[in-house]
Amino acid sequence: MEVLREKVEEEEEAEREEAAERAEWARTEKMMRPVEVRKEETTLTQEMLRDLEKKLSEIQIPISAELPAFTKDTIDISKLPVSYKTNTPKEEHLLQVADNFSRQYSHLCPDRVPLFLHPLNECEVPKFVSTTLRPTLMPYPELYNWDSCAQFVSDFLTMVPLPDPLKPPSHLYSSTTVLNYQKGNCFDFSTLLCSMLIGSGYDAYCVNGYGSLDLCHMDLTREVCPLTVKPKETVQKEEKVLPKKYTIRPPRDLCSRFEQEQEVKKQQEIRAQEKKQLREEEERLMEAEKAKPDALHGLRVHSWVLVLSGKREVPENFFIDAFTGHSYSTQDERFLGIESLWNHKNYWINMQDCWNCCKDLIFDLGDPVRWEYMLLGTDKSQLSLTEEDDSGINDEDDVENLGKEDEDKSFDMPHSWVEQIEISPEAFETRCPNGKKVIQYKRAKLEKWAPYLNSNGLVSRLTTYEDLECTNILEIKEWYQNREDMLELKHINKTTDLKTDYFKPGHPQALRVHSYKSMQPEMDRVIEFYEMARVDGLIKREETARTMTEYYQGRPDFLSYRHANFRPRVKKLALSSAESNPRPIVKITEQFFRNPAKPAEEDVAERVFLLAEERIQLRYHCRDDHITASKREFLRRTEVDSKGNKIIMTPDMCISFEVEPMEHTKKLLYQYEAMMHLKREEKLSRHQVWESELEVLEILKLREEEEAAHALTISIYDTKRNEKSKEYREAMERVMHEEHLRQVETQLDYLAPFLAQLPPGEKLTRWQAVRLKDECLSDFKQRLINKANLIQARFEKETQELQKKQQWYQENQVTLTPEDEDLYLSYCSQAMFRIRILEQRLNRHKELAPLKYLALEEKLYKDPRLGELQKIFA
Amino acid sequence: MNRLCDSMEPKVMDDDMLKLAVGEQGPQEEAGQLAKQEGILFKDVLSLQLDFRNILRIDNLWQFENLRKLQLDNNIIEKIEGLENLTHLVWLDLSFNNIETIEGLDTLVNLEDLSLFNNRISKIDSLDALIKLQVLSLGNNQIDNMMNIVYLRRFKCLRTLSLSGNPISEAEDYKMFICAYLPDLVYLDFRRIDDHTKELAEAKHQYSIDELKHRENLMQVRLQDERARQEELEKHKTAFVEHLNGSFLFDSMYAEDSEGNKLSYLPGVSELLEAYKDKFVIICVNIFEYGLKQQEKRKIELDTFSECVHEAIQENQEQGKCKIAQFEEKHLSSLSAIQEESELPNIEKMILECSADVSELFNELMMLEMQLVEQLEETINMFERNIVDMVGLFIENVQSLMAQCRDLENHHHEKLLEISISTLEKIVKGDLDEDLPDDLRAVPMCLACPCHSDFSLTISSWERPFFISFLENHCLWITRPIYQLFVDKDTIVNAVGASHDIHLLKIDNREDELVTRINSWCTRLVDKIHKDEIMRNRKRVKEINQYIDHMQSELDNLEYSDILD
Repeated sequence: MEVLREKVEEEEEAEREEAAERAEWARTEKMMRPVEVRKEETTLTQEMLRDLEKKLSEIQIPISAELPAFTKDTIDISKLPVSYKTNTPKEEHLLQVADNFSRQYSHLCPDRVPLFLHPLNECEVPKFVSTTLRPTLMPYPELYNWDSCAQFVSDFLTMVPLPDPLKPPSHLYSSTTVLNYQKGNCFDFSTLLCSMLIGSGYDAYCVNGYGSLDLCHMDLTREVCPLTVKPKETVQKEEKVLPKKYTIRPPRDLCSRFEQEQEVKKQQEIRAQEKKQLREEEERLMEAEKAKPDALHGLRVHSWVLVLSGKREVPENFFIDAFTGHSYSTQDERFLGIESLWNHKNYWINMQDCWNCCKDLIFDLGDPVRWEYMLLGTDKSQLSLTEEDDSGINDEDDVENLGKEDEDKSFDMPHSWVEQIEISPEAFETRCPNGKKVIQYKRAKLEKWAPYLNSNGLVSRLTTYEDLECTNILEIKEWYQNREDMLELKHINKTTDLKTDYFKPGHPQALRVHSYKSMQPEMDRVIEFYEMARVDGLIKREETARTMTEYYQGRPDFLSYRHANFRPRVKKLALSSAESNPRPIVKITEQFFRNPAKPAEEDVAERVFLLAEERIQLRYHCRDDHITASKREFLRRTEVDSKGNKIIMTPDMCISFEVEPMEHTKKLLYQYEAMMHLKREEKLSRHQVWESELEVLEILKLREEEEAAHALTISIYDTKRNEKSKEYREAMERVMHEEHLRQVETQLDYLAPFLAQLPPGEKLTRWQAVRLKDECLSDFKQRLINKANLIQARFEKETQELQKKQQWYQENQVTLTPEDEDLYLSYCSQAMFRIRILEQRLNRHKELAPLKYLALEEKLYKDPRLGELQKIFA
Repeated sequence: MNRLCDSMEPKVMDDDMLKLAVGEQGPQEEAGQLAKQEGILFKDVLSLQLDFRNILRIDNLWQFENLRKLQLDNNIIEKIEGLENLTHLVWLDLSFNNIETIEGLDTLVNLEDLSLFNNRISKIDSLDALIKLQVLSLGNNQIDNMMNIVYLRRFKCLRTLSLSGNPISEAEDYKMFICAYLPDLVYLDFRRIDDHTKELAEAKHQYSIDELKHRENLMQVRLQDERARQEELEKHKTAFVEHLNGSFLFDSMYAEDSEGNKLSYLPGVSELLEAYKDKFVIICVNIFEYGLKQQEKRKIELDTFSECVHEAIQENQEQGKCKIAQFEEKHLSSLSAIQEESELPNIEKMILECSADVSELFNELMMLEMQLVEQLEETINMFERNIVDMVGLFIENVQSLMAQCRDLENHHHEKLLEISISTLEKIVKGDLDEDLPDDLRAVPMCLACPCHSDFSLTISSWERPFFISFLENHCLWITRPIYQLFVDKDTIVNAVGASHDIHLLKIDNREDELVTRINSWCTRLVDKIHKDEIMRNRKRVKEINQYIDHMQSELDNLEYSDILD
């Protein structure tokens, strides 16, 4: 405690001295500084900008030259909401506080650069940086975690370098504008990312600091592509099993220990030498790769995101570079210093020395010695308990020095002026501007596309190069999405020329991996399958020019492995070339898993059909407590004995070794039956091999077709792209619309013409209502009668005409030509048809008319406008 | 008999008939020639068909040990017999015979399909052993009681049943009854039972079935309880402390001890006894718990041991297999080289090399085995020492606890003696009245003799002997024993001593039993381990020798054939 106290006192003393010095400094500059500050605030005008531009043009930055400038001329500010264009009184107050803070700060630390507190927004209104953060939780579950979030930001925005690499920008646009234009500098990036991270619950901060050249220019050419880094194989530590009580002692080791030691020593020497060589090599390479020294090292302003541990189960503090979306440890040497940091609630200035990059920084924001806060009383993490005394004392000092306690105490950060951040689903899916992005890594190039942008479903391609200049391609990896053939990844190794396709589950042939050099059959290839999707449980099929090996699992006959050796195809005449000409099989080896239902000495482990030698070899499984396994060999050469009879079976046709000889297996009958069985099996196996060959051909054909077609699948939930569902939806809408129209029609108002006679807006009296009803009904009755009359009239007219025609026909029957007669007959039939229809209509009308009349009466009775009627009846 | 064969003589199932049948039904064509050449052993036959042969008596089938399917239909068999040895039988057809009762099927536990169609059976029983029964055909018989169906409920696998042509199938409720009582049945009288019928049947007979089920469940539960209790006891027995988790030992001490029981009526003895019992039982429970704990320990020890031994053997086997695999690979290549070689001297040289390889393999394998034997011996000895120590410790502790029991007994004995003597003195002095316990005193009062009501109140001390003799004459059956004891000091001391001796004997017996049993267990265990190891070793050596012999003979054959070539 005593020591601590002393230390504290020392510190205090030092600080007091410092303060005195600062005061001295301040006095000399007192007259100039405020003016300057004001100037900076007020006169950041065209002049300054032009200045900056001039400076910018002087500095040669290779990337920035190509990128379109992101100036405020291109931004349409007319549609922005009011909060963008004005400041609320609270914000004004905040700005005043900030100004005051800034003045005091520059007064106390005149050697440090002015604070980045309230840059102008797109409407030229000064806004405090913390209020520019708009914590938002995105509706996409993919953006809930920091890594995907950072990746999204880095993909979505195009990087624009800072106008002046040595100063923070004069403008800081709202995230909504940045998202709209998909462009931004490092501050825009980190503001957006920080908003999203805070929104999803992280303890995230925007950092204003200094970064290395690579970092500031988003130059990844010296970085290893994260996709090429192989995940470190976690070497599982073999748990040292404690020797059990009764573990047998190992046999005595009779080797000379001295010799062993000598051997070990020798090997160590060799290894050391190798290591040394390796290291030298590495060093040489490193040297070559190292960047040229940067003249502005340590001065380049950069902004990134700091995530503190604690919330969302983050175990330790880390940085996220919003440009690349990568995370870095806080010890990383690319981050050269921190000026200040802020979140949506407060603003802190780093009071720690950054001579050793950020490695010594302690991110305890509650510690006012290390972090000078702007607003008091926000619920920021308090200093850890052990240093409480310390902080108390220092607190007083600072308070005295800055004297801000009185006015700031009750002040908290106003709400953000930025509109809610919104990303449309289309933009979210497209991600990169125009759906395409290229990132250059060290010895690698990564290209990204939005899904459905490429017609073959390509979404990203990683090209790995052998050299730093990226000329010799080492390998290419292409990732696909939404392919109908479930192709997921295509991997082409340029050195060995080996192509490997990876498939997702769901290929019609249950393919998983297909690696090959050429699509010609009977060449080296390995095909792996999703064995659960196959009936025969095939896992893998390997082919070379002369062999084919298949691996199985989970079959009811316990087959695990089949290997076939082929002889080169016999050259046949052209006649047979049209048919399939399978290669002759020399040997088939089959292996089986243990079948627990059978005893081991009857369970075949391996059988070899030597087709050329007409031999069959069997090897059985080994019993649990044995070390040897039974074997049997059949010679199936059919021979003829001296009398010309066929020899069926002789003892020397079957050579067997049995671990535990049994009686019944010695019998010729048993052996004969076994051999017959094997003969049948042999036929089957040959057939299987032949079928496998056919299947390979089929797969190759299918693959070629798929490659040529490369159709893409569209989810049924994807309403935009799915044409079918779109059509269906439109059809449904049309139907709905028609239905609606029909309904409107049926709801034609019978009362409307009668109501129109009455003065509008008045309630009907009973008398009026009754009259209305009667009128309506009588009108309807009239109409029904009219309709009936009309049909009747037509009917009569038709009959009359027909009668006339018939009369005419009977009169002129003799003189008529056959054509006229035909005409007459067709007329008659048509007329009859018309008459019949009219008759039917008339009948139906007669039937329906009373019903219709009753229905109308009922309807009128229920009509709310004629409520008077009801009242009386009720 | 109303069949064609009626007129014919009954035939006897003799060897010739069986041989003929086997030959006819055996393999055909080429295989048949082979079979004829070699002859077929009856025990290799899997299925046998003996129909339409006019057989009266089943006989001579004992050789067909592995028979799976036997058809004896259409004969005139009257009694099921001679099938005891055919334990692998799955399919038995005895239809169209003259069988009257079902019997002789108790050993056919694997039977799945039994046909007794067209016989004279009137009652279904004696099928208890056929737990795998799936198909039962009992059509055209004389079964007339519906209750036979209930008997079939015990066959859980029964799916097909035919009962048509029996008197019961005439009953109108026949189908419903069967469907209700045999819900797992799928086919009845060659027809599938549809779900609708099942539901109807269930609804119809629901009450009786529920009752039946309830009874069956009760039975089941009782059986399970019994089994659980048995298991528990078995567990205690393996710990050698059965019946020590309560007052069983104490009760047994007093079970054969008439004097002790009598003495317990003395004043103050019952309290003493109660306290004694409590203490005794506590010690017993201690022994019991200690025993269980020790048993657990022994079990763990044994498990570790067997696991380790198993691991060692496995590892050794793996090594052996690996060696053999290496050898075989090499051997195969050298054999093919020999076959391709044409010059005789070279061949001989190579064959020599091969045989050297074989003998080297032999040496290696034997070395491995000997190594394992040595290692195992060491381990086994260690285990033996440990387990013997453990048992010794257990015995020692149990003995000390038993000694506590004995101390308690001694203590109790002394106290009892004291009380007895003081009681005797009191009796002698004559102030028994006050001290006699109520039940003793009440004895005369509750006697049925009307002349002695209130008798005890009037007895004065000088009348005591008379009173006793009176009691002896009149009320013998209650009061005599206790008063007999209190005749004089010797008697009472003897009685108490005898009781004490019995108790001590019981305790000693229990202790002896425990000690002998655990000792014999221990020796048996150790013996078994040794024997197993020896057996294993012999088997392995035999296996190795056999393999090597085979290899060697193969080589020799090669030599001969080469020479012949």
